[in-house]
Amino acid sequence: MSDVTTGILTALGGVGTLAASGGDAAAHAPASGGALPAASPLVLLIPLLPLLGCVLCGLCAAAGVRTKLPAWLTVACLGAAFVAALKMLGDATGGPGTHATIAHAFDWFRIEWGKGPGGVSRELVANFSFYVDTLTCLWMLFVTGLATLIGLYASEYMAGERGPGYCRFFAAFNLFVLSMSCLVMGDNLLLLYLGWEGVGLCSYLLIGYFYQKPSAVAAAKKAFIMNRIGDLGLALGIMLTFVKFGTVEYAELFERIRPFVELARHGRFDEIPFSVQLIPLLFTVGAFGKSAQLPLYVWLPDAMEGPTPVSALIHAATMVTAGVYLVARFIPFYVCSDLALPVVAWVGTLTALTAATIGMAQFDIKRIMAYSTVSQLGYMFAGLGVLTSTGAAFHVFTHAFFKALLFLSCGAVMHGFGGQLDLRKLSGVRKMPGWGIVGVCMLVGCLNLSGFPLLTSGFFSKDMILAQAFTTPGFAAIGWILLLTAGLTAYYTFRVYFRVFEGPSQFEPGDEAHAHADPGDQAHAHAPAGHAHGGHEHGHGQGHGDGHFHPHAPGWAINTVLAVLAVCSTAAIGAYFIDRDHHGWVGRMVDSSTAAWEAPGAGHSGAHAEPPAETGHGAAPGTFLGMDPHAVMYYVSAVVALVGIGAAWWLHLAGRTAAATSRADGLLAAAGPVARGAQGKWFVDEVYDALVVTPLWVLAHVFHLLDKLLIDGLVNLAGWVPRGAGRTASTGQNGLLHSYALGMAGGLAIVLVVALFMVKN
Amino acid sequence: MTLGLLILIPLLAAALVAALPAARARGTALAGTLVPLAGVIVAAWRFPWATGEAEAYAWSAEWVRGLGVRLSLGADAVSMLLIMLTALLGPICVAGSFTAVRERERTFYGWLLVLQAAMTGVFAARDAVLFYVFFEFTLIPMYVLISRFGSTNRKAAATKFFLYTFTGSVITLAGVAYVAWFHQARISAGVWSFDLATLTRAALSMSASEQRWVFLALLAGFAVKVPLFPLHTWLPLAHTEAPTAGSVVLAGVLLKLGTYGIYMIAIPFCPGAASALAPGLSVLAVLGILVAGLVCWVQTDVKKLVAYSSVAHLGFCVLGLLAFNTIGVTGSILYMINHGLSTGALFLCIGMIYERYHTRSMKELGGLARVMPVWATFMVFFSMASVGLPGLNGFVSEFMCLMGSFQAWSAWKDSSVLAGTPGELGPYVTALAGVGMIVAAMYILMMVGNVVWGPLKEPGGHEDHHPDAAGHGHGAHGALPKDLSAREIGVLLPLAAACVFLGVYPKPVMRALERPVEGLVRSVQEARERGGQPRPLPVPRAGEVDRQSGAGVREGRQ
Repeated sequence: MSDVTTGILTALGGVGTLAASGGDAAAHAPASGGALPAASPLVLLIPLLPLLGCVLCGLCAAAGVRTKLPAWLTVACLGAAFVAALKMLGDATGGPGTHATIAHAFDWFRIEWGKGPGGVSRELVANFSFYVDTLTCLWMLFVTGLATLIGLYASEYMAGERGPGYCRFFAAFNLFVLSMSCLVMGDNLLLLYLGWEGVGLCSYLLIGYFYQKPSAVAAAKKAFIMNRIGDLGLALGIMLTFVKFGTVEYAELFERIRPFVELARHGRFDEIPFSVQLIPLLFTVGAFGKSAQLPLYVWLPDAMEGPTPVSALIHAATMVTAGVYLVARFIPFYVCSDLALPVVAWVGTLTALTAATIGMAQFDIKRIMAYSTVSQLGYMFAGLGVLTSTGAAFHVFTHAFFKALLFLSCGAVMHGFGGQLDLRKLSGVRKMPGWGIVGVCMLVGCLNLSGFPLLTSGFFSKDMILAQAFTTPGFAAIGWILLLTAGLTAYYTFRVYFRVFEGPSQFEPGDEAHAHADPGDQAHAHAPAGHAHGGHEHGHGQGHGDGHFHPHAPGWAINTVLAVLAVCSTAAIGAYFIDRDHHGWVGRMVDSSTAAWEAPGAGHSGAHAEPPAETGHGAAPGTFLGMDPHAVMYYVSAVVALVGIGAAWWLHLAGRTAAATSRADGLLAAAGPVARGAQGKWFVDEVYDALVVTPLWVLAHVFHLLDKLLIDGLVNLAGWVPRGAGRTASTGQNGLLHSYALGMAGGLAIVLVVALFMVKN
Repeated sequence: MTLGLLILIPLLAAALVAALPAARARGTALAGTLVPLAGVIVAAWRFPWATGEAEAYAWSAEWVRGLGVRLSLGADAVSMLLIMLTALLGPICVAGSFTAVRERERTFYGWLLVLQAAMTGVFAARDAVLFYVFFEFTLIPMYVLISRFGSTNRKAAATKFFLYTFTGSVITLAGVAYVAWFHQARISAGVWSFDLATLTRAALSMSASEQRWVFLALLAGFAVKVPLFPLHTWLPLAHTEAPTAGSVVLAGVLLKLGTYGIYMIAIPFCPGAASALAPGLSVLAVLGILVAGLVCWVQTDVKKLVAYSSVAHLGFCVLGLLAFNTIGVTGSILYMINHGLSTGALFLCIGMIYERYHTRSMKELGGLARVMPVWATFMVFFSMASVGLPGLNGFVSEFMCLMGSFQAWSAWKDSSVLAGTPGELGPYVTALAGVGMIVAAMYILMMVGNVVWGPLKEPGGHEDHHPDAAGHGHGAHGALPKDLSAREIGVLLPLAAACVFLGVYPKPVMRALERPVEGLVRSVQEARERGGQPRPLPVPRAGEVDRQSGAGVREGRQ
């Protein structure tokens, strides 16, 4: 395999270099890349390799490959891309300065229309060029790394689908990584937008992977449309940016925003034009769509209809953090508006709380994880809003590992138990033979998500956001809500763990174990039956129909990936302790990128020459009950997490003898309408249906009727006159010719009138 | 004469098709479209894209001596691109009809070839009368194709199509006639000319009110053709009833005659009036985008859905044109080409389904991905191109139309705005039009979700039938495989390749359009600067009339 990888790398390296040099020669244009130095052409491999993988998987589909070849091709390509990303990181951090570089592939948009004031040529330039700074590296590192691991996992998970479906899955998987790399690495807003919509397409294709299930199709459609609503905001933001600043290329943009940032630094927001202040708000709409924040979050829980590896990669670890990336990348734009960051912070906080409350009351473990993703994304936005882009990025980083770990563990359970996801029908899985690794990995993931003190990276990243929320003046309320949410998170996370993995070993297989009724239907097996095929693979699938279901424990690929992720999410703690000058390794990555912004009240690190931002108009840093939040928050959040875990233990593990019941059942009744509301997801979908979808549907029908009756009716009325005349003039003939003649006559009449007019003059 | 050959060869082929036995019709027709395609490729190869010469392949001959009507042909970059589109769609339409049309083949292919000649003629014509003749002449083949090869309601559809568009274009003729009269009466001292460049120059000297009336008259025919809301009701009917090839040509090229006419004649003749009427027209464009989009959403007939979607799409195209700035107009011209590719391909895809199942109703069809994976791949691909997914062609043009419209705002005069242009549209209009992007996703995904995805649903009690089972009930069309045949794939592949190419590397096309677009933008800008006042009349000097017409360089277009 390594030979293949090297071969591909070498071959592509050649192509990449060619493309880069050709492009450079063609476009020694004034604005292309600005003054930024060129990056190593190796960077181009990162988008090229997934593209190659996508094409190869497509060829596999065309050739009718029925082996695991597409998976191995994918893993090889993405693994090589990961290596290239490592190299890119080395280049970006190795040199003396930490300047952004640009790798130019080829031109895309290039239109000029003369010179503007000051001889600046007015043009729209947006190329396939990649902007490499440390923020790019940070994101691409976990995107390609996780994609490789999850591709390996999927090779086993999707094994029952081998054939065209398997190829389709991995082609879309590669296309996703390609889109994601355009999103993250693009050196201009249009390429970002390309990636932005591209990941949306891949998300659509992969959520709807089991396309015969109406619920999957509906979920895919919902995800795409919800995202499009956000995309419109982003698109308008891009247009406004272009009109205002005359460019969409980062290198120029971040230069041109500078005067406004200076104004903002001194609190002179009234001197910043409204249009500049509007840009971040429009971007925010896009970010909220992609990252599933209020009010556009409803698509993400439904997206769990997709295969679990997809949920892990796209809907937990990478794509949904694109919104966070966007805000972090454009922090200089965000600080120019006195409204944008508070909006981001508050929406993030409220999303975190809402999603956590819903997550507490659900029974489908994958949906609980989906709501926890929404909730954790809320944390990240809150972190951005209170101006700790480092904290947000660090949480993105740790969350990517532990949430992927959680999803993949849940996926292993789902895969092994015939699609069972109801936590009332599974219990004590950890103690079943062959499930030890999954159990331990799930525990690691849960500890991370709930912020278990000291041992988990999730603890440190969440702590950073919480502490900053109390520090930044004016955001204490956000701090308190986030703290409450942290407790709820610990509770619902361990509710899942204690119900499914601990307690007495009991289970009830899911529907998919029985769906395998038609053994002749192999080529186009029902999607769920695919899992049962997987069961055959491992020799546990016999007798599906007769009630003797044997769960099949995961194989080497799944276990390896889980173990690696468990190690990674723990090892990510290290990132907090390296480079303490910069608040950790992630902080260093952020500080040397455009996302750099000194968090208020954290200026004591001494690593920065810039004075702290004065978003609060010079107000003093906040405190936590009179103490320094950064010092005290470790203890507070540790206590909160332990209380949440303890509550989960008391309600869901202590003394539980059956899978289906627990102490919490009594509590549920007591909570009454609140519990019902949370179980019903606060009926947001229903409200949207009633307020938006139904009226729109009625309106569409009204328009259709008006179109048919009124507009077309008038046309027909007009058409009747000559036709009627034609009919009366001669019977038994087709009215058409007469109308034609009449029309001709009419035309001639007009020409005659003109001619007369001419004669008169 | 290159362009003349491109018009003549399909005509000759049509004559051959009519003369030869029916069994030879297909082959002759295919040859009759492939030869012009090869010719266009050569012509495009030799076309002076980079040097920006206003016209190439100019050719002119006397036609009606007394009236100064000439047979003059020529092509600028815009015409050339649209001629290329027409030539590309020609063989695709022919090859796409091999199994769909099995009787009266000579009539079908003959008229299809005539139609291609007429469309090429419109784009190549440089004389107003010649333009009008070709413009009107497209109606007759299309009328025959719809009325003789269409579905159940074909007669009514064909009649409505014919009368509606004919009525509009008669008014256009009146407008052209007025300008020609104005030219001979006020400028050239009685010497008539219908040369487009000469008339463009002359029209600029008309008074503001004359310009307004002439613009509206010219617009009448073009707006029906586009079709601009609310003049669109002939379109869904015509599309639904037309045979597949007819729909492809209709969406791919015929609608573009409208926008091309606006670009080539209406705006250059009356730039001041165009600028003054832009706000009102942009409202119609946006209404078209939103209303037609919503109407799409509640259709059950797939073909009608795609037909209505054309109304919405062309709304974007018109909006970009009305921006009167480089990005908007370039986007609009790209839109003409891209819409022809993606919507034409969608009609082909739907036609392939209709051939197999004899229905286009989403109530009877569903989940076809299971039995036709190759078809499903193409269908999803072209749907995404149609919905404007970045990386495919639709995005480039749609985004540029919106960006152009966003830029075109008089309030952007503030010196801190670095990329605003004068104009009448602005961010609010753009935001409303942008909602059309969401609506487009709604209806396209509704269609894809119903027809491509979901549980398999086939008409005639074949629901959930085993896909590989023999004797699947379309015995009559045993020639067609369950999934696409190699011929059908061959028909769709070039379109898909063009969609990817124009989505990823539109730069050559953008570069080629720079100069012609600049001419249009400048003429509108000059009209704005004159503040509605006509350009002063040139001193009439008898005998000095631009007689080398075709070769004449059109002012403001160089």
